[in-house]
Amino acid sequence: MSNILSLFQLCDSTFPNGSFSQSFGLETYIQKDMVHDSESFLNWLRAYVNEQLSYSDGLAVKIIYEALEENQNEKIWEIDRLLRVQNLARESREGTQRMGESMLNIAEVIYGFEYLKTYKRRIKNKESFGHPAVVFAIAGYQLGVEKEQTILYYLYSTMIGIVQNAVRAIPLGQTTGQSIIHDFQKDLKKATEKIMNLDESEFGVVSPGLELSQMQHERVRIRIFSS
Amino acid sequence: MSNWTGVLDLNMEKRGERTVARDVYFHGAFKVMRPIYHEKNNYPCYYLLNPGGGYLDGDRYRMNINLDEGSELTLTTQSSTKVYKTPNKEAYQENTFNLKKYSYLEYIPDALIAYKDAKYLQKNRINMEKGSTLIYSDILTPGWSPEGDHFSYEEIRLKTEIYMERELVLYDHILLEPKSQDILGLGHMEGYTHLGSLIVIGEKTDSDLLDEIYEEIKKEDGDFSFGISELEIKGFTLRIMANYTQVIERIIHRCHEIISDRWYNKKPSFLRKY
Repeated sequence: MSNILSLFQLCDSTFPNGSFSQSFGLETYIQKDMVHDSESFLNWLRAYVNEQLSYSDGLAVKIIYEALEENQNEKIWEIDRLLRVQNLARESREGTQRMGESMLNIAEVIYGFEYLKTYKRRIKNKESFGHPAVVFAIAGYQLGVEKEQTILYYLYSTMIGIVQNAVRAIPLGQTTGQSIIHDFQKDLKKATEKIMNLDESEFGVVSPGLELSQMQHERVRIRIFSS
Repeated sequence: MSNWTGVLDLNMEKRGERTVARDVYFHGAFKVMRPIYHEKNNYPCYYLLNPGGGYLDGDRYRMNINLDEGSELTLTTQSSTKVYKTPNKEAYQENTFNLKKYSYLEYIPDALIAYKDAKYLQKNRINMEKGSTLIYSDILTPGWSPEGDHFSYEEIRLKTEIYMERELVLYDHILLEPKSQDILGLGHMEGYTHLGSLIVIGEKTDSDLLDEIYEEIKKEDGDFSFGISELEIKGFTLRIMANYTQVIERIIHRCHEIISDRWYNKKPSFLRKY
């Protein structure tokens, strides 16, 4: 058995990474009434996970995992910067960074991995930014969890955070929320397969509608999320 | 590699108050017209043109634009860029812009029209030095087909990398692939057909400017949706989805007006097309 339980800790909904305050543009869709029930939410979730999350975070986990296998450390920091500068919506960019830092601060303490210490030092020296996908990829690799599994768990952890926010914001019932988490697992497997076949040149493809909603969120008047 | 279909090198420098071309080189299916000094401007506007009328299967274009310290330039196209069907190999364009200290570039090309079964890849690399200013735009249309169908092209891919003092500060990757994406669906174009982008980098950018641009765009007529957000460095991106090229052009022009007025106390040139 690998240290899979240790990685699960990062996916746990009680892990304090601050995801409860990020909607990544979902709140804009809710305010426009384009997302208002479980069906319309699933529609949004599919677009978000299969497009934006796959091409940025998901692919980043894959590239970083492979860089660690090949001892190409510089690649890790290069991807950290790419994740940062490809996110043109300020709130999502800043929110993700805060999540990355929260996750890193705890992960560094509980795992004690050298790469995480280096990452933290680089952020302190303003050489790197901080992103959950980077922390997660390092943790998965160092815990001996396979690459494909690490990607899948990363998508899962992001998805449960978003579903919980949707339950509060749309709102949806708790059972509906859990049903979505359950039913969406096959989508996550498909997204993971897609990511495994993506090449680095595919990194950061923009979904115009999602990006607009994330930019528009800055001007949404009444808001419960900070992105 | 030297197998380019068209090559353009344009090197600008400042002589006294005026910006002039130190040298202009073009070769193959890429040309610039004689520069025009609009109104009271002491810097030129160059119009790019494609004598062949459009990009063909496997065509490769390369453009290098160099702006010396303090020089200024407006670069636009004479008409829309057309990419005809590419049955064998995508059409490719590679643009490099080098902006030295305090230089100023406006790159406002016409829309891109990809024909049925066309595949197009464009890579932009913009290297900026401190104090330089960039206004970059592009407009992607749903293309053209004999049947009048929208999105009948194969693929449009635009990759833009902007470096400030050698550090990557912006990475934009647009991929429209109608056959494998739910292109009009939620998350993608959401019912709109045209996508416009404006990237502005300039040290005078602040949140007041963004607020003003936001309020002004809201006053524009027509059916469109837009988002505007500040970048990692002083600057912003504006993204617009609409159903007509003209709507996006008008919005981009309005932003350009506001920036020119607030930063330089002047009006942007009206880019005459013949």
